[in-house]
Amino acid sequence: MTLAASVPDTWIGTLMAAVRRSPAIRAVDAAREEEAVAIACGASLAGGRGAVLIQNAGLFNCGGVLAGLVDLYRIPCFFIVSYRGDRRDPVYYHEPKGRVTEPTLAAWRLPFAIADRGAELEGQVVRGVEAAEKSRGPFVLLISGEDLA
Amino acid sequence: MTARKPLLEALVSMLAPGDVVVSCLGANSRYLPHLAVPVPVFALCDSMGAAIPLALGMALERPDRNVVALEGDGSLLMCPNVLATVAACRPANLTALLWVNGHYESSGGQSLPSAPVDWPGLARGLGIAHVERVGDVAGLRQAFPRARDAREPALLVVDVAFDPSEPIPPYSERPDEIRARFRIA
Repeated sequence: MTLAASVPDTWIGTLMAAVRRSPAIRAVDAAREEEAVAIACGASLAGGRGAVLIQNAGLFNCGGVLAGLVDLYRIPCFFIVSYRGDRRDPVYYHEPKGRVTEPTLAAWRLPFAIADRGAELEGQVVRGVEAAEKSRGPFVLLISGEDLA
Repeated sequence: MTARKPLLEALVSMLAPGDVVVSCLGANSRYLPHLAVPVPVFALCDSMGAAIPLALGMALERPDRNVVALEGDGSLLMCPNVLATVAACRPANLTALLWVNGHYESSGGQSLPSAPVDWPGLARGLGIAHVERVGDVAGLRQAFPRARDAREPALLVVDVAFDPSEPIPPYSERPDEIRARFRIA
């Protein structure tokens, strides 16, 4: 990737701290998630490769831009999304978001994978990026805080 | 108040080989294919509010090109926060034009749900330092070169007439055609 646009949550913030240490990836702090998607798409359209790092609540904000930009114009867009409220999340108030995350991804026809903590994360990211490139569309890798430990 | 087309024609006449244009949905995207734009154009036909962040991503990726974003006031009112993001990134090669007519022209001409917005004040408040208000073609011809040459992101607030009877041409390019043709050398 050449650019990672992000709106943080606790887990994504940890990941973005690593991104900021990368000499190869430009970290962009967006004020809202739809912006982050468009910024990443702009980087890709300009010859780079943009990624989006956001929380699942932020992904829920992105239905319009996913349909009207990413899908409509067939732009590869790789997402890392923190899966707040899944069974591994210790914070109770995220639970409603966890309940609707996978159904929303399915309804929006967003290809996704849940990070497998038992396998190397780097390979899962590479496969997600390749899937987005191949389909010229979105791919979402859902992560838990445990995956970053 | 000046009509959109002469303002757009003036803008196109000032574009230089190093420029790239990102257009919001609606009249801008519908007029541009008819104006022989001499630089790459990425024209949106949906996704209100995406023009400026798209242009920001391009500007950050290609600091050797000047990216010109065309956005409407209805679209930016949905997500003025993007100006704060632009200000934080401080790209020296991003020039945004905000067309202000107070209406959702593409969706039937409904009024924006607010009293007149102080767009220059809002933009400055969100961190955009180079802001100018433009009311006619002569003003645009003076302000655009200043904005493009600024060593910081710039916003031109362009007051444009709203005319429900304006014969805006229909969309003439499909998204797959726009996407396939768009290349920044």
